[in-house]
Amino acid sequence: MNIVFLILVHWLIVLTLAPLFTGVITKVKAFFAGKKGPSVFQAYFDLQKLFQKSSVYSSTTTWIFRAAPIVNLAAVLVLSLLVPVGVLKAPVQFAGDIFLAAYILGLARFFMIAAGLDTGSSFEGMGASREAFFSCLTELALFMNFITLSLVARSISLSTMIGADFPLSWKLMGPILLLVAASFFIVILAENARIPVDDPDTHLELTMIHEVMILDHSGVDLAYMFYAAIIKLFVFAGILVPIIFPIQTGNITVDMLVFLGAMLVVSIMIGVVESVMARLRLNRVQNLLLIAFALAFFGFVVKMWKG
Amino acid sequence: MTSWVDASCIIIVFLSLIILSNYRVVAMIRVFAIQSLVLGLLPFFMHASCISSRDVLISLITLILKVALVPSILFWAIRHVSMRAEIKPIIGFGSSIVFGALIIAGAFWISLSLKLPGKPVSDLILPCSLSTVLLGFMIMVTRTRAVTQVLGYLIMENGIFLFAVSLFDVMPVLIEMGILLDIFVAVFIMAIVVNHINEEFEKSAESIIPKIGETF
Amino acid sequence: MIEKLFQLPWHVPFGEFSLKLDPLSFIFLIPVAIMILSAAIYAVGYMRPFKATKSMGLHIFFYFLLSSALVLIVLANNVMLFLGAWEMMTISTYFLIVFHDEKASVRRAGFLYFVMSHCGTFLLILMFFLMAQNGGSMNFNVISHSKFPVLLASAVFLLAIVGFGVKAGFIPVHIWLPHAHPASPTHVSALLSGVTIKTGIYGICRVLWMVGVLPDWCGYLLLIIGVLCGVMGVLYALGQHELKKLLAYHSIENIGIIALGMGVGLLGRSHQMPYLAVLGFGGALLHVVNHALFKGLLFLGAGAVIQKTHTGEMDQMGGLARVMPWVSLLFLVGSLAICGLPLFNGFISEFIIYFGLFHGLFYLPLQGAFSCAVGIIALALMGSLALACFSKVYGTVFLGQPRHLKEWPQGERTSSWMLIPMLFLGGWCLWIGLFPKTMANVAFSSGAYLVHTDLSRLPMENIFLPLSFIISGALLFLALVVGLIILRRRLLKDLRPLPVRETWVCGFSQVTSRFQYTSSSFARLIVGMVRTILFFRREGEGVKGKFPPKVSMRSSVHDASEEFLFKPMFVFLTGLSRKLDINRIRHTQIYLMYIFLYLIFLLAWKLK
Repeated sequence: MNIVFLILVHWLIVLTLAPLFTGVITKVKAFFAGKKGPSVFQAYFDLQKLFQKSSVYSSTTTWIFRAAPIVNLAAVLVLSLLVPVGVLKAPVQFAGDIFLAAYILGLARFFMIAAGLDTGSSFEGMGASREAFFSCLTELALFMNFITLSLVARSISLSTMIGADFPLSWKLMGPILLLVAASFFIVILAENARIPVDDPDTHLELTMIHEVMILDHSGVDLAYMFYAAIIKLFVFAGILVPIIFPIQTGNITVDMLVFLGAMLVVSIMIGVVESVMARLRLNRVQNLLLIAFALAFFGFVVKMWKG
Repeated sequence: MTSWVDASCIIIVFLSLIILSNYRVVAMIRVFAIQSLVLGLLPFFMHASCISSRDVLISLITLILKVALVPSILFWAIRHVSMRAEIKPIIGFGSSIVFGALIIAGAFWISLSLKLPGKPVSDLILPCSLSTVLLGFMIMVTRTRAVTQVLGYLIMENGIFLFAVSLFDVMPVLIEMGILLDIFVAVFIMAIVVNHINEEFEKSAESIIPKIGETF
Repeated sequence: MIEKLFQLPWHVPFGEFSLKLDPLSFIFLIPVAIMILSAAIYAVGYMRPFKATKSMGLHIFFYFLLSSALVLIVLANNVMLFLGAWEMMTISTYFLIVFHDEKASVRRAGFLYFVMSHCGTFLLILMFFLMAQNGGSMNFNVISHSKFPVLLASAVFLLAIVGFGVKAGFIPVHIWLPHAHPASPTHVSALLSGVTIKTGIYGICRVLWMVGVLPDWCGYLLLIIGVLCGVMGVLYALGQHELKKLLAYHSIENIGIIALGMGVGLLGRSHQMPYLAVLGFGGALLHVVNHALFKGLLFLGAGAVIQKTHTGEMDQMGGLARVMPWVSLLFLVGSLAICGLPLFNGFISEFIIYFGLFHGLFYLPLQGAFSCAVGIIALALMGSLALACFSKVYGTVFLGQPRHLKEWPQGERTSSWMLIPMLFLGGWCLWIGLFPKTMANVAFSSGAYLVHTDLSRLPMENIFLPLSFIISGALLFLALVVGLIILRRRLLKDLRPLPVRETWVCGFSQVTSRFQYTSSSFARLIVGMVRTILFFRREGEGVKGKFPPKVSMRSSVHDASEEFLFKPMFVFLTGLSRKLDINRIRHTQIYLMYIFLYLIFLLAWKLK
């Protein structure tokens, strides 16, 4: 029963904290635009509103369309179990859990693409096509990062790879971790549909990849999709934070505060990048993702060089 | 200060890769300036405990020359010939990045068999300098405009300079000065040539490397 | 560990009717048995429309001949028996492929298959000759106990790779595959992809078992072949818009994954790391079984689709899920399995291969570690490209709206004869995905048998523990799905009935089904990126002017091996043989003289 309790606590914390950081990013973008912007807690209100609304379905769609939000949210929730949240260790850890993480996201992605094609709309087909393409390049960069991190930590379990004895390793492996962190930051931007890869605010065909695939979802389905996107961002940032801020004092409250502060910093960074850059042309996005791969590959080469 | 030196070497290689994959000339020149800045500060990182006057001299000259003077000449050149900002290299941007990554791996592999005299401050300097030289060569060879080709040449010089910096104790100052003069002259000549091509043929700066069968 | 021998008196020079069932044969027998059964039951329903016009007797005869040949190949313990069964398989497959021999393309495809198989068999005869010479006997058991000098072992390995590679579908000798699969009736394609290709892999495994120790570079070669087949296979598949050809290229990709696993296993064996060897080969062998299952399922589903729509072009399908609910569900199962997604069997075998690759990354010397890193990246790339490809296939064929018609004609439903085997295969996929321990055990013991190690001495808990975590993860996922469904029902309870409208296409009013993305447009981004490698060609200009006339466009992807390797070679050979045309020499006496000279030569040689 112990493990069930741990899983439930983990989910509780992830579900409560995740919408906060999306609000931080929006606030930062509003600040750069000279606006006051919506409240930091806006995501909570949005979710509450969506859960109370009814869902409209298209006559063209099949059960796949109704299943996609559920598969998406379930997959992201399972993923969140593999990632530690500050002091809270990941309830599920085993050698090779990185493959489960990557491929369960793939399962969610398959259903989202299928749901996009299910509506018979060319907008969603466009989003589906671009999503399929960019995910290939993002997987490359992601796995290259995994390779380098696993060599540094000598393990293929996600929690060990990012929570290893890092304060020591930063001195020895500083540059390598720098490259991995930079590459992973680009992966975060790509996977979570942030500028410069995609614009999370608009539904125009020029900018859409993720936003357009959920164009026809409404009500509870949209709430599920929205929540899944928020949690995914939280989880990915949670993977990056221990790599960049490997501070473990041993005191639980201090560690938790440090984690929250670090997550805040990462969210602010994402917000700054979103405000300062414009969304790249689609064939430039491909180059950006290849640069992420090249960075991670370079980190791998340096790690092999250092032995 | 090994980790600082390591980080600088890696940043230098990374910036060369960025230049390889970039498509805007203005951005490329700015990144080159940043790369030269890191290179200029490198002597300080290497001899953090005992900074000699020689270090200061080299750093200063490098900074003035490569961070201030050369970029401004390049900016003047592109403004003067109204060069289009976007250029397409011979092998395409995506392939350039992949090739660049492979070149870096190749450079590291070659460095496995190369042995340096003496003990360098950081063991990353040799492979990183080799990577920078090779990446600069690739930039020079795959671009189709004079300014970017010269930029590739300058990056090659940066790589050689990185290598020379690690051998401070064994190399006389004169050689480093020679390298720096070399760079300055090259850029100066390029600017003049670009200027003249423009006046003669009313074309925006074509390639400095002539095509086969074509006289210059 | 099973090892049973069966012998019958059979008076053929150098041959003996000796059959042996060992763990290696066992794991190949599983897909053989399952696929033969499923394809046969499926064919009852599939062939019904053709019963009136064609004779079925010949087809059924060759089907049974093929089944016996397949079982014989896997169980054979003697070179002559193996080669005889191999030939029997080639011939019966040829006749099965050319069922629709009224079409010229079918005849050509069959002929290409026939010629290439025999080229491969020629190399195999050479290889077996060398091996039997070294071993002093034609019996596999005896050969496996003999020692092979390094040069001979390398030569045998290379001959095996090319000879069996023709049948398995290694690039560049794979060119018969994309032609044979669309040409043959669907149950034959399923058998081809599911089982016949695997006999090539079986052959390589058997040779590896017999030869014992191989030099280092053999593992690297297999790894490179695996990467090449895998990546190029899935890229070619992305560029196809004919359903069965796409599935054929995907088989090449999965053969690449199997070769990758085998390469890792070989590296483990040559570096004296039996754990790595078992991981690599175990994963590869499990993937052999898995691929037979889900590729068989996909082909059977494709056959049902083609029967309904009378075309194989995906760009003319769409919205089939509404008229063929069961087929679409089972095809979804097959697609999820082939992408290696959790809950299904593809994930398990890829997981084991990844595990092996990472183990090699940590513990092999520099070159090996680097190759393992390349392998990991290639496997990740293959996985995501396969996901792109199959989401495209599923979406274009089953979802959305029909592209060229208003609605599919109701027609007759897919017969149960066709659905039941698909359900059977889908059940297997789900079972191995959720409860992989049994099959994993079988695969690992076969792998251990292959590399002549003792399984009990290896730390196998290191891989079984993660597998049990995966099982719990999958079950947790299913529980979550059920929970979220219940939650959604509770939330929407008071708001039923739910409104159903047309798709909101951002307010466009004159939307037709032709606005939808087709398979070529979906894949355009990826194919565009690797345009030069795939020799992507486009015929037809774009739309010009303000009131453009009707235009058409065709895009195609060309196989480099076919265009630049084999076509020129065939053209050259045809020209050469035309020059040496037999009709030039008309006098029969000259041939009599040739025979006479040959007899003199034989006599002189034997009397020396």
